[in-house]
Amino acid sequence: MKKLMMAATALAGFAAPALAQDAVRLQLQWVTQAQFAGYYAALDQGFYTEEGLDVTILPGGPDIAPPQVLAGGGADVMLNWMPSALAAREGGLPVVNIAQPFARSGLMLTCWKDTGITGPQDFRGRTIGVWFFGNEYPFLSWMSQEGIPTEGGPDGVTVLKQGFNVDPLIQRQADCISTMTYNEYGQVLDAGISPDELVTFKYEDMGVATLEDGMYVLEANLADPAFADRMVRFVRASMRGWEWAGANPEATAQIIIDYDETGAQTLAHQVFMMGEIAKLTAGSDGTLDEAAYQRTVDTLLAGGSDPVISAAPVGAWTHAITDAALAQ
Amino acid sequence: MKGTVGPVLLVLAAILAFWYVACVPMNAREVLTQAERGGAVLIPPSARERIDAPLLPLLWQNSAHLDQSWSQLRPRLPSPHQVMVEIWDSTVTEEVFSHRGIVQSGEWSNRSLIYHTGVTLSATVLGFLIGAALGVALAVGIVHNRAMDLSVMPWAIVSQTIPIVAIAPMVIVVLNSVGVQGLLPKAAISAYLSFFPVVVGMVKGLRTPDAMQMDQMRTWNAPGTAVLWKLRLPSSMPYLFASLKIAIAAALVGTIVGELPVQRGGLGARMLAGSYYGQTAQIWAALFAAALLAATLVWVIAMLERRMLRRMGAAG
Amino acid sequence: MIVLAPALVVWLSLWAANAILTGGGWDRHPAVRLAVPLIFGATILLVWEMAVHLLAVPSVILPPPSAIAAKFLASTSVLWGDFVQTILKGALSGLAIGCALGLVVAVLVDRFDFLRRGLLPVAGFMAALPIVGTAPILVMWFGFGWESKAAVVVLMVFFPMLVNTVAGLADTTAMQRDLMRTFGAGYWQTLFKLRLPAALPFIFNGLKIASTLAMIGAIVAEFFGSPTQGIGFRISASNGQLALDMVWAAILVGALAGSVSYGVIGLVERWLTFWHPSQRL
Repeated sequence: MKKLMMAATALAGFAAPALAQDAVRLQLQWVTQAQFAGYYAALDQGFYTEEGLDVTILPGGPDIAPPQVLAGGGADVMLNWMPSALAAREGGLPVVNIAQPFARSGLMLTCWKDTGITGPQDFRGRTIGVWFFGNEYPFLSWMSQEGIPTEGGPDGVTVLKQGFNVDPLIQRQADCISTMTYNEYGQVLDAGISPDELVTFKYEDMGVATLEDGMYVLEANLADPAFADRMVRFVRASMRGWEWAGANPEATAQIIIDYDETGAQTLAHQVFMMGEIAKLTAGSDGTLDEAAYQRTVDTLLAGGSDPVISAAPVGAWTHAITDAALAQ
Repeated sequence: MKGTVGPVLLVLAAILAFWYVACVPMNAREVLTQAERGGAVLIPPSARERIDAPLLPLLWQNSAHLDQSWSQLRPRLPSPHQVMVEIWDSTVTEEVFSHRGIVQSGEWSNRSLIYHTGVTLSATVLGFLIGAALGVALAVGIVHNRAMDLSVMPWAIVSQTIPIVAIAPMVIVVLNSVGVQGLLPKAAISAYLSFFPVVVGMVKGLRTPDAMQMDQMRTWNAPGTAVLWKLRLPSSMPYLFASLKIAIAAALVGTIVGELPVQRGGLGARMLAGSYYGQTAQIWAALFAAALLAATLVWVIAMLERRMLRRMGAAG
Repeated sequence: MIVLAPALVVWLSLWAANAILTGGGWDRHPAVRLAVPLIFGATILLVWEMAVHLLAVPSVILPPPSAIAAKFLASTSVLWGDFVQTILKGALSGLAIGCALGLVVAVLVDRFDFLRRGLLPVAGFMAALPIVGTAPILVMWFGFGWESKAAVVVLMVFFPMLVNTVAGLADTTAMQRDLMRTFGAGYWQTLFKLRLPAALPFIFNGLKIASTLAMIGAIVAEFFGSPTQGIGFRISASNGQLALDMVWAAILVGALAGSVSYGVIGLVERWLTFWHPSQRL
């Protein structure tokens, strides 16, 4: 009996350090790239372990809708763009924004200058590439506000479901394509096209920008104090990671390359991406700016005949986690 | 077999020659745009006018500027040597000379095609084994149970009309939420695609013994299991192997499709990553690796078939 | 698992019903042959519906069949447009071109033995190219419209049609070929009057495989670039919008199209190859 007790105690002793690390699973909304630099930096530099967290970062991909993974219990916290998260909330999946590292939007339309497009009204009769899977909401909202139908024809735009590369622009299958300042725009330049051959429309400048990468959790989970505490520590370590990444872009790019499981990323592209991402996260400590949130909601509600959300969401965000995380 | 090497080589040489020639018209517009940026004067001079210009006159009038057709960075049609170089770089060069390769770090580099082929292969083999076992079990059930025969077969056929790529993300999400990650979801999709050929082939095979042979078993007072083991299963071997060849090719397709949603290595992830970053040669290299893998797997089954049938005394 | 008890009860009782139907010697009756698979299908749907409700599965993971049916009936115009774009424009045209190409090349391969030894292995290698790799390349070449989807389908159906037609053309007996020679028939006459008709069972076998592949090819190709219409587009975009009931409704359209085409080909096969032993069952 004594031996059994000793064995059990020894086992418990071994288990204790493991129990001290709480498990957190983060679902990214795309493949491993510098867009998620803060989290990878925090993982690599041990910020999560310092907070007693054992974090698993799950890369996303073209067919993974992070809200689905969250709903299925495959992840504890997800990254998502606010329009997609608000639409999910209205559709019956109560997700709550707990932090907003991205203060500015990097979404823009890139067009050939020789198409003669100078403003949004020139989009009529043109072919425009748009991403789907949650990324179409800002565009549809914008066109609705401009009064331009999206079913094609001489008076509307013909929308192409763009894949996630820039070939439709280069091969002139589309007059304009959706690009992120930090990714696809760089690819267009890498393809040998100079900026004077292009004309770009940043959603921020057009006044139709919506908030992008934010951290979201299920409302039901947030009611559990142990879970909320894990999230506080997670947000704190993640924001430290973002700070570190902003200060060490080249090292962060190398970290991304090391964690990339497909082996397809290149260092040069990740360095470019890190530089651009830093412009979007600059000045944000993770707290959601209420004015920016309201702007996003107004943009989505103004979508005329086909609004992305039909009513202003209630309880879609909370400052509780970021307040606790930054209080220290 | 002897007589095929010569003709195959000739056909391959013809395809290669056609491929080199085809690079010119396929890459022409981008090549000319590049030349224009480099200062050349073309007919017609601006890219906008060239979009709708007919191809052959365009090539004829600007033939002096087409020499870059075989060395484009983002080609519409990469030339054969570009694909060969990419395959070489992603296998030998990456493993032997890179700091992540097997020579220097003792582990397969996650940038090399060899590693990705291994990831795909493991899921394929697992899915194939599950699918084949399931197929054989279902076939035995269908042959012995009339209710299963009438009810399951039509739905097995319908199951193949459901587009698998649509199911893949949902299967993976559902399995992930139950905690099943990594290899098993991909193997599940492989199994889904590979069980049907095995069911069809085995049902046909298990029913091949004719009335005389079945009567013979009855004269020996053989129980149902003996009939199964000693008569039906051996007669179904040729059909089994024919369907195993189809099944393993289908399992490979299933694995590659299953790698798309999760993007954690494998030839499918590699092809898609190449597509995202405009690295056309990467797509082609992964494509060839996948086709080579399929051909090798089918060949392995064919070898097994020859050995098995020879041991059974059937047609060698 | 206890919570699933009602669903298990339903499943077992319907299974028992099927067993009774087939066990009583009635199993050759056409009504029974129709009823049994329908009961089996109904069982799956009922168990699915009950399981979703009993286990409280969120609808963004798996919607119940009732929601899918409702969405299907409410969106027929949208789904019809998708059907025309993907099946009629993409899959059918690709199927026609691919099968015609397969037939022509099969005749050439049959005529010239050199081509048979050289081309068949190479065509086999081409068939092994996974669609996930060929689809983005073909979208790059042929654009976002239905043309690239048709091209993907051609690539997928060419090899099965080729292999089946070649096997069919070889399936004539020496006596039949000798008979044509006694009539003084040349190669082309023998081809059109004896060998092609004799090859029809194999050609139809190939067509059945090809039609399923054509549909899958057209849908998958749309995942890599499409206009805002099409079954593949609908599946992908609705998945992203978390409208899973629409996803399944689009899958239903695809499955229906595939089954109907399989059935139609089967009927035409029975009409044209009535003389073949397999049709006498």
